[in-house]
Amino acid sequence: MDIDLSADDLAFEKEVREFLSENAYTHGANPEKWRMKWFEKAKEKGGWDVPKWPAKFGGPGWTPNQHYIWQKETARAGTPWDLPFGLSMLAPVLMAHGSQEQQDRFLPAIRAREVNWCQGYSEPGAGSDLASLKTKAELTEDGKHYVVNGTKIWTTMAHIADWIFCLTRTSDAGIKQEGITFLLFPMKQEGIEVKPIITLGGSHTVNTVFFTDVKVPVENRVGEEGKGWAYAKGLLEHERTGIAGISNSIVALEGLKQRASSVKRGNGSLMDTPSFRSKIAELEIDLMAVEYTELRSLATASAGTAPGPESSILKLKGTEIQQRIQKLTMEAGGEFSAAWGGINSGPEFARAGMGGYMSSRVYTIYGGASEVQKDIITKKVLGIKSTKK
Amino acid sequence: MNFDLTEEQQLVSDSIERFVQDNYNLESRMALVGQGPGFSEAHWKSMSELGWFGLSFSEDDGGFGGNQLDTMILMEHFGKGLVLEPFLASIVLGGGVLKRTGNEAQRKQWLESVIDGSKQLALAYSEADSGYEPHNVAVAGTKTADGFTITGTKCMVQHGGTADALVVSFRTSGGTTDKSGISLALIPADREGVTVQGFLTVDGLQSAEIAFDKVVVSAEDLLGDVDNGFAALNATINDGILAIAAEAVGAMEVLYKDTVAYTQEREQFDHALADFQVLQHRMVEMFMEHEQCKSLLYRATMEVANGGDDAQRNIHALKHLIGKAAFFVGENAVQTHGGMGVTEELRVGHYFKRLLVIEAQFGNTDYHLDQFAA
Repeated sequence: MDIDLSADDLAFEKEVREFLSENAYTHGANPEKWRMKWFEKAKEKGGWDVPKWPAKFGGPGWTPNQHYIWQKETARAGTPWDLPFGLSMLAPVLMAHGSQEQQDRFLPAIRAREVNWCQGYSEPGAGSDLASLKTKAELTEDGKHYVVNGTKIWTTMAHIADWIFCLTRTSDAGIKQEGITFLLFPMKQEGIEVKPIITLGGSHTVNTVFFTDVKVPVENRVGEEGKGWAYAKGLLEHERTGIAGISNSIVALEGLKQRASSVKRGNGSLMDTPSFRSKIAELEIDLMAVEYTELRSLATASAGTAPGPESSILKLKGTEIQQRIQKLTMEAGGEFSAAWGGINSGPEFARAGMGGYMSSRVYTIYGGASEVQKDIITKKVLGIKSTKK
Repeated sequence: MNFDLTEEQQLVSDSIERFVQDNYNLESRMALVGQGPGFSEAHWKSMSELGWFGLSFSEDDGGFGGNQLDTMILMEHFGKGLVLEPFLASIVLGGGVLKRTGNEAQRKQWLESVIDGSKQLALAYSEADSGYEPHNVAVAGTKTADGFTITGTKCMVQHGGTADALVVSFRTSGGTTDKSGISLALIPADREGVTVQGFLTVDGLQSAEIAFDKVVVSAEDLLGDVDNGFAALNATINDGILAIAAEAVGAMEVLYKDTVAYTQEREQFDHALADFQVLQHRMVEMFMEHEQCKSLLYRATMEVANGGDDAQRNIHALKHLIGKAAFFVGENAVQTHGGMGVTEELRVGHYFKRLLVIEAQFGNTDYHLDQFAA
């Protein structure tokens, strides 16, 4: 057992800190200019603009420990906003299953943050049970195009996306996981309608997307027809570990403690009340444990063996902790958390605290609901099989 | 022992139920939220014509001589429709202080028009640093020849933006957290020095922050005896707690029933969601939490209405349990509805948002647990 960082790791940590402090956002700067400059500088460091990409595709080729250090330091220092869809979700699929031509065509623009992608997975009738998706892609008689018809839902950022990677059904034969095909096509074209879904936090990030006779050239198909499920599944696992957000939660908890200390209760602060204090303590204890669950998962990966059961816990515990932080932030804001919109009443952090809490409810629904995660653990980790005869 | 409603109560209950069913689907409610006063003047008028505002006032005051039980019946139905009209603010809270403290002239001038709905009141008692304690009052009254001038800010005044007059607590002696030394007054909202900033809350209702800058309070404005306002304020807040607890019980009933209905319609993995035992048991627990809340609501309401010795402890117990159950039922209703549960399109999220505001109003779940245990 060894959890100490090596001398190399410590040197790397120092280098990361220096980079982040040198390139930190300065008040009043143009955010978009800073963002592009930041990625440019990160690229010059040797692929730090695409930390998770393999060295072969221009990534830094970090060890799991280096990834951990990067994640921890960037959670503290903050990084420019970035969308995960092209960079972390589509790119690995293209690297593994895309043709050389597709890699050359799409990866550079993803890396340059020039093209925004969205993910066409869930459908009104296919949520947790994603494989039952029905959006149809039919090959034209000349074999040159697919014609896509159907509806996708919960499509994050579809309203600003330039392209979509989309799971479509090309065959109804066999089990439902077969006959799914992975297509890429532009969003700004005839036959695509994007309708906003306003969520309970009051924000617009997700959409319903309708496809009517959308023509997609066959060269925009990734891999083989009917094999899309296998490509997409690997991607979902990728999505799940990313969602856990443990480093961010550690930083958020520190912020929460400070905020709660500024809230008066009787002659002291909210942090002095036993009930609130013990909830913060319980949260911190769970976070201490899950941080090491993540480290154990990293260590397994580092030793080159398959991820252990601890990786299955990460999405469940990680999202639950994020929700508890939102809930306690709302509680710290008290009645003032009810204010809706930019109202100047009560502590500043409380503004729309209930909106933030409501928004956080989706964490245990998206990327595979908690119930589905538990089913996966039941079958894959505990090895429980149906005994129905 | 008898938990049945009287024939008269049953009639009122049926009429409220019909009113809510006819007027409060999600679409018509959302059309009112954030528009104009944030509620329907027409609904308000209908409610007054149906006689609901007078239920808990004495016959001498022009009411029907009922009590907290009548308010409970009404609020439970209101909770099922997420009613927007300022019944709690004007009738239970504003009217509640007035009926407990008002002299003959004040009752004559105000109570009649509160009960007929032509005037609305709001209760301004909470402050930025009061930390849920109704006796934690910093807004200061400075003695004048005829009364006081008051200065300071009241926060989260429900429907304060549309009220004609405000019932205000302020400190006339003692330290900020003393129970004695609190006085009450009824101040018209348009009086000089009163600045009202109304705003929307997450549940679609309205609240306000109200600043008082050397506002003149004459002897005629004072409600009850100087320095002795706390008892009436606290009793009124207890009525408020009973009222929103009843509302919460109504809202929770909708949440668990909607969840049961949805899981029977929605299919995933070639099964109705309701086939999965993990969801069945979850819904059973939601149902049980609702029933437990209803039991404690009845217990606390009767204890208060009968003037029992254990009234205050019952209030703390009720507000704690309601808050805890609100989170459990609300979170699980949203979770079980999946992605649809977090959209504005389905009503579950709207009911949960109302429960969140109820949880934080008049002291949250933790606060009342601490009070109960103290």
